[in-house]
Amino acid sequence: MKYRVLILIIGLGIFSWAVSLAAQTKAAPVARSFAAPKTPWGDPDLQGTWTSDDCIGTPMNRPVNLGDKLYYTEQELAQRESTLAQQAKNDKQEFVADNARVGTGPPGHWGERARRPCKQTSLVVDPPNGRTPDVLPEARTRPIPEGAGNNNPKADSWEDFSYYIRCISRGVTGSIFPVIYGNGQNIVQAPGFVTILQEMVHEARVIPLDGRPHAGSNIRSYMGDARGHFEGNTLVVETTNFLPNKTGIGLNGGGLPTSDALKLTERYTRTDPNTIAYEVMIDDPKTYAKPFKVAFPITQEPGYQNFEYACHEGNYAMFDSLSGARALERAAAAKTK
Amino acid sequence: MRTKLAIVIAAAGLLLVAAPVWAHHAFAAEFDAAKPIKFRGTVTKMEWINPHAWIHIDVKGDDGAVTSWMIEAAAPNALLRRGWTKQSLLAGTEILVEGFQAKDGANRANGSIITFTDGKKLFVGSSGDGEGPPK
Amino acid sequence: MPDGKPNLTGLWQSLGTADWDIRDHSAQAGPFYQLGALGATPAGQGIVEGGDIPYLSAAAVKQKENFQNRMKLDPEVKCYMPGVPRATYLPFPFQIIQSQKDIAIAYEYATSNRVINMGKAKEAAVDTWMGTSNGHWEGATLVVDVTGLNGQSWFDRAGNFMSDNVHIVERYTFADADHINYEATIEDNTLFARPWKISLPLYRRKEKNAQLNEFKCVEFAEELIYGNLRKQK
Repeated sequence: MKYRVLILIIGLGIFSWAVSLAAQTKAAPVARSFAAPKTPWGDPDLQGTWTSDDCIGTPMNRPVNLGDKLYYTEQELAQRESTLAQQAKNDKQEFVADNARVGTGPPGHWGERARRPCKQTSLVVDPPNGRTPDVLPEARTRPIPEGAGNNNPKADSWEDFSYYIRCISRGVTGSIFPVIYGNGQNIVQAPGFVTILQEMVHEARVIPLDGRPHAGSNIRSYMGDARGHFEGNTLVVETTNFLPNKTGIGLNGGGLPTSDALKLTERYTRTDPNTIAYEVMIDDPKTYAKPFKVAFPITQEPGYQNFEYACHEGNYAMFDSLSGARALERAAAAKTK
Repeated sequence: MRTKLAIVIAAAGLLLVAAPVWAHHAFAAEFDAAKPIKFRGTVTKMEWINPHAWIHIDVKGDDGAVTSWMIEAAAPNALLRRGWTKQSLLAGTEILVEGFQAKDGANRANGSIITFTDGKKLFVGSSGDGEGPPK
Repeated sequence: MPDGKPNLTGLWQSLGTADWDIRDHSAQAGPFYQLGALGATPAGQGIVEGGDIPYLSAAAVKQKENFQNRMKLDPEVKCYMPGVPRATYLPFPFQIIQSQKDIAIAYEYATSNRVINMGKAKEAAVDTWMGTSNGHWEGATLVVDVTGLNGQSWFDRAGNFMSDNVHIVERYTFADADHINYEATIEDNTLFARPWKISLPLYRRKEKNAQLNEFKCVEFAEELIYGNLRKQK
C-alpha cells in the first residue's frame, strides 16, 4: 500500500515537472513572421506611442528560487490574470474599504496598471538566472543617491537625492523600464532619424541613422550619445558617451551609478501591429563583471498617449523634503537646549 | 507610530503580484506620521502638475476661521490617460481628505484618502478600462 | 517628402538677440557686475512686427516690474521649460523630426520638446509648459496652432510675458533649403490690446558634426532655488 502511494507521488512529481517544462517552452514567445509596415521613405515603421505597462511590478532580478525559469506557465499566467482582474475590480470600488488605513505613503490610485499579465519572471533575461552579474570591487564604493524607498532619507541637500527625484533624468534604461506610471515611449521617425520621446522625465532621444561616428569622448551626457541603424526590421541603437557616476540601470535610473565606460545596445523589433520586442544589452566593464541583457515587450494601447511631465517646474516635494528635514533638526536642537 | 507601507497598500486594495516600486520620492520624507489630519474642505484650485498634482482647499475651522491647505495627489498623467481634464475637479467642489501634515508644520498634507462628501472615492477606476472621472 | 510636403527635418537655430529682448534694445550692463562683459546684454533689432508690444496699461506696468525683478522671476534662470514661442529663439539649437504623420521638435535647452499633432486637432486636457500643438499645411507653410499654455513662460529675459489665455499661431515656411521663415501671431486679450506678431529666420546648422547636445540645466539652478534649505554645517 505504501509503495503504491510512493509510486503515485513520484509519478505525479514527474508528470507535473514534464508539464511545467512543456509549458515553459510553450510560453516562450515566438516572433512570428510579421509583415512589418514601412515608412514612405522605406524604413521599418516603429511609430506610435508604446508602453511597458504590462510588466509593471516585474522585478529586475529574478528570485533565486526560480532558477533559470524565465517564463511563467500557462497556469501561473491564468492566476496572474485573475489577480489583475481583482485589482481592476478593487480600483473600481466607489467607496473606501472599511479597513482602509491612512498612511504617509502613496495611495492606490497613483498607479497605472498592466492590461495583461507579464509573461516573464524578471526583466533581466541574460544571464540565464535572470540576475545582474557581480558588481566589480572598484564600483562597490560608489555612493548611491537616496531613492523613494527611504522614509527618513539623509536630506542635507538636493544632492543626496536621486537624479529622478531631482527631476533631472532617469537615464536611458530608467526611462523605459516599467514602473508604476509614466512608461510611455512615443517613436517618431523621419528620413535619417528616429526620435523616442519618453514621458518621464520629458526626454527626447534623437537617433541619427546616417552612420556618423559618435561625438568625441569629451562630450558626455545623462542620456548618452545614440547612433542607430536598421538590421532587417530591427532598429539597433548604440549609445555611449555617458557621464560617469550619475544614474544607475535600476528602475527609475536608481541603484549603483554606472561609469563612463557604459555602452548600451538596444534592439527594437515590431512583432505584431501592437507589440515591439525591446531588448538592451548593458555593458559597463567598470561596474559589472560582464554584460547582461534586459528584455520585455512594449505595446500600443487604444487611447494611450504621452502627456507633458514637467517635473522640475512643480517639484514642491523637493522643497518639502528639505524643509521637513531642517524643521526636524531645529526641533531636535531646541530639545537639547 | 509609523504606518507600514505594506499595510497601506493592502488596505487600499492594491493587489499586485509583486511589490511595486513606488516611484519618486519618499513620501514620508515630507509628511509626519504623528500629525494626522482629517478635513472637509472646498476646492479652490487644482494644480495639474508633475511630479504630483496639488489640490488647494479652504478648510473652515470650528471657530469659523478659514485656512488654506495644499493636498498632495497623484501624478496627473495617469488620470489624464483615464480621461480626466482640468474640468474634472472644479473650484467649489467639497471634498473630504485624510492624511498627514507636512513635517515642517506648513499647511500641506498628503491626500491618502480623498472622497466626495457622499463618501465616494475621488479617483475611482484604473488605466486600461477607460473609466474617466466621475460625472 | 514622398507626399510632396516640404521636409523640415534638421537641426535649426535662430541668430540674433531675441531671447534678451524681443523689442529693439541697446547694449546694457547686466545685473551682476562680477560677470563683467559676460553678464551684459548685447544690442539687437527686435523681432516684433511694428516695433512695440501692444500691452494694455496694467500689463505694461507688470512688464516693467518683471524687468526690475527679472533674475528672480525669469523662468529661464530656473531652467523651467521655455514654452512657445521662446523655445524657437533661445540661443540653443533644436531638432525637427518630421514623419509622414506627426512632427516632433526636440529643443536642446532643458531637454524641452513637443509633438505637433498633424491629425485631427486635439483639445488641451490641461495647461502645460510647452502647450498643445495642432498643425496643418497651408500650401508649403506649416501652420501650428498652440493652445493650453500655462502662461508662466516669458517671451524673453526682459520681462515680456503672457497669461494662460494666450493663443499662438506659428508659421514655418522655407525661404531656401537652409533657411526657414518663422512667424508667430500672439493673442491674449487680457494683456494685449490687439494680436501682434513676431518674425525671424531660422538657420540650418551646417557644421559637419552638428548635432543636438544635452543641456539639462536643473543642476545649474539647484543652488539658486534650494540653497537656503541646505543643511548648515
